[in-house]
Amino acid sequence: MAKVHAICLLCILTLVLSGCWSKRELNELAIVVALGIDKVDDEYEISLQIVDPSEISMRQATTQRAPVVSYHSKGETIFEAIRKMTTTAARKPYFAHLQVVVLGEDLAKEGISEALDLISRDHEFRKDFDVVMSHEATAKEVLNVLTPIEKVPANKMLNSLKVSERAWGTTIAVNIDELVTTLSNKDAGALISAIEIHGDKKLGADQTNVQRVKTPVLLQYAGLAVFKEDKFMGLLTEGESKSISFLKDKIQSTIEIIACPKKGTLSTEITQSTTKVKGSFEHGEPKIDVQIIVEQNVGEVECDIDLTKNKSIDYVNKKTAQGIEERIKKTLETIQQQYEVDVFGFGDALHRTDAKQWKKIKDDWISIFPDLTVDVHVKVTTQGLGTLQNSLLNNPKEE
Amino acid sequence: MSMSNNIKTSPSHTTNDLLYTSLSKNIKVIQNTLGHSNDIIIREITIGASDSHSIAVISIDGLSDKTTISNSVIDKLMANIEEEQNIEITTINQYIRNSYLTVGDVANIEHFTALFNAILNGETVILLDGFAEGIVTSTRSAKDRAVTEPSTESVIRGPRESFTETLRTNTALIRRKIKSPNLWIKTRVIGDVTQTDVAIMYINGIASDKVVAEVLARLDRINIDGILESGYIEDFIQDSKNSMFPTVYNSERPDVIAGELLDGKVAILVDGTPFVLVVPALFTSFLQSAEDYYQHWMISSLVRVLRFLGISLALVAPSLYVAITTFHQEMLPTAMLISIASQREGVPFPAVVEALIMEVAFEVLREAGLRMPRTIGPAVSIVGTLVIGQAAVDAGVVSAVMVIIVALTAICSFLFPAYGLSNTIRVLRFPLMILAAMFGLFGVMFGIMVIILHLCSIRSFGVPYLSPFAPLIIQDQKDAFLLFPRRKLLTRPRLVNQKNIVRGHNNKKIKSRK
Repeated sequence: MAKVHAICLLCILTLVLSGCWSKRELNELAIVVALGIDKVDDEYEISLQIVDPSEISMRQATTQRAPVVSYHSKGETIFEAIRKMTTTAARKPYFAHLQVVVLGEDLAKEGISEALDLISRDHEFRKDFDVVMSHEATAKEVLNVLTPIEKVPANKMLNSLKVSERAWGTTIAVNIDELVTTLSNKDAGALISAIEIHGDKKLGADQTNVQRVKTPVLLQYAGLAVFKEDKFMGLLTEGESKSISFLKDKIQSTIEIIACPKKGTLSTEITQSTTKVKGSFEHGEPKIDVQIIVEQNVGEVECDIDLTKNKSIDYVNKKTAQGIEERIKKTLETIQQQYEVDVFGFGDALHRTDAKQWKKIKDDWISIFPDLTVDVHVKVTTQGLGTLQNSLLNNPKEE
Repeated sequence: MSMSNNIKTSPSHTTNDLLYTSLSKNIKVIQNTLGHSNDIIIREITIGASDSHSIAVISIDGLSDKTTISNSVIDKLMANIEEEQNIEITTINQYIRNSYLTVGDVANIEHFTALFNAILNGETVILLDGFAEGIVTSTRSAKDRAVTEPSTESVIRGPRESFTETLRTNTALIRRKIKSPNLWIKTRVIGDVTQTDVAIMYINGIASDKVVAEVLARLDRINIDGILESGYIEDFIQDSKNSMFPTVYNSERPDVIAGELLDGKVAILVDGTPFVLVVPALFTSFLQSAEDYYQHWMISSLVRVLRFLGISLALVAPSLYVAITTFHQEMLPTAMLISIASQREGVPFPAVVEALIMEVAFEVLREAGLRMPRTIGPAVSIVGTLVIGQAAVDAGVVSAVMVIIVALTAICSFLFPAYGLSNTIRVLRFPLMILAAMFGLFGVMFGIMVIILHLCSIRSFGVPYLSPFAPLIIQDQKDAFLLFPRRKLLTRPRLVNQKNIVRGHNNKKIKSRK
């Protein structure tokens, strides 16, 4: 009997003593939504954007407090800096809901691999947040801008990134896993979307920034940043960024503008685009063949063109294809000649076609890439004209 | 123990249990035994030409029908026998019995035990001076409640009748639904003091003989002074006495009981309660309502899915809340986490204490609402809405999400057609909450596993409780989680019933095909 009692006691004690071990009440957490990493004089400077839940809530009337708070601290390593932050922050930072990581431009120039180690190693970080780079600003400054409509600036950064990737094509959302995978591949270069501050950087943190109709300080995505190995090389223009999206088969929808036969312009909305990258070897010479099949609708007509005729549609198709093709070729030139880094994954394409041949050239890939022959073929079909047939400009002239 | 059982069910009379020849002596014994209680009516009359025969008519006021006694017994005895001058004194008792009493059911008795049994059941005993025997005439008239609408299992479509407290009415209600000579009734008298009639009903040829024998054996084993409700019987006959899950089904609807009898189950009716027991009872029976069978099968199937969802929510909703908000915040979408966090700002208790307070408050309210006199009811509901409602949230004691969780749990626990299971679920969510508070989702998972293992281990009269899920019986899935159309429901549940499995006489093919 005594034995049974002892076992019962043991069971209960094991439960009670080990229970509630890693318990965290919700009001003991500081929910981190954005993390900024800068390099200042050989030290990392960490910025955290932490949500103040009671300010976000719908229930209570808003007070004058900001919806998010940012904390900063410096340290020799990022881990140290984060832990040091507990001396200033009200609660322990909780990273599982991190939305976006902003890498400072200075850090990016020196190399981002070391900085990414902690956030891809630590178990508390989920691996689904996106990484962006601040351009002409520090990460700290970016995290200190309040944004209208989206109370949490991190959400605004994430939303703009995703929406512009879907509808405009100049940004690419890269999450930490993809970034680390690309960086670990020595032959390929990474691409990260870059974010800029428009306006006076110091005013962004002020509540007045979100109280006006026209927001004085804005965050905007500027285009794609090219990384060679893990160092920032340069920022691509809007057109170049879009071309890269085409090449990487990331375009879901975007707008193309073409010139009309006479004068004026016509813009089309691309509704679907599929890109096939095929590698081949001709006498040991690597060659890349890119096929892009685009479907589009006519979006806006600001010129005199009779869209009811097949000929005009053929013209629109041809012109769009030409426009896309030329821009891609130009972009390829920039990447190949200026940056000399394979951000498109052409190496992988060649590897897939012929692993043996690829092995031979693999070590020289960096020197081969700038002179690689890339054939680009764009095929465009127009599906619809919208709710009008011909432009309103067109009709009176015919009479 | 077994001896007392014998006395109870089939009295073995001793010599001094025999009636005396002398009427006055008999009356004295009766009065002494019943303690001169004033509801015993002993009417002494004399009959015959010269008032030569003393007769006593004994009954209990309130239990027997006075009109029948005066019209069919006393009136006949007094009026007629006077005119018959030539009756032999030695045969007068037979004469009375055979020619004069105009009541339906007449029997002879020779023992005091039988006499007491008869008058305590509302019958009238006629004792004649000079004869060591009495005549029992059936004059029972219990004050019976009318057959009314069921109060616990209401349906939109379906019969509106429910059982009453009278055993005979209840057996009649079932017989009216199943007009088969094979509907058999076996009765037992249980309770040394209360002498309660207990009847088991089953359809001979459909119900398993083993189960019937087992039910009778378990009923015979009951040794107690009184049975006041079928709950007493349920507790005595159920398989696993320490299980919180009910392994005996009960219903107050004759149509439900008739349906169960057609499945091959055995019903146990207890005098004095409208709740009829059914064995063997399976887990799924508690999630099925009579109305499922009266409406379109697709709707019934959807409603059943909803009930399974309800049982899961009622069981785990509070513990999931506790586990996720204290251990697994990363599982929530960010917007939701922020929203919940903002509500938790300023709540002074940990989530588990908050949950326990609210759940206990709700249980208290519910219990109070049940036991309150009707007239004070509204007062309770007003106070209740304040306690577990907006006022509690505004006061900052609990978060709004917690109120939603408690309300959801409460509503879900009312979703069960059978009240017994709902009680079990109500109780089980408390240990789950504690587990959630200590180990998070691991604890909840552990608790659920223990519950499921337990469910798998128990049986009801030999039938696995979780069948047809565990063991999985494919052909019985037609009437478990979902309900198939009626033309597909042609076989009876396999484990409950093993000999007469096909419903309807034209459906023999199904049997041969198997």
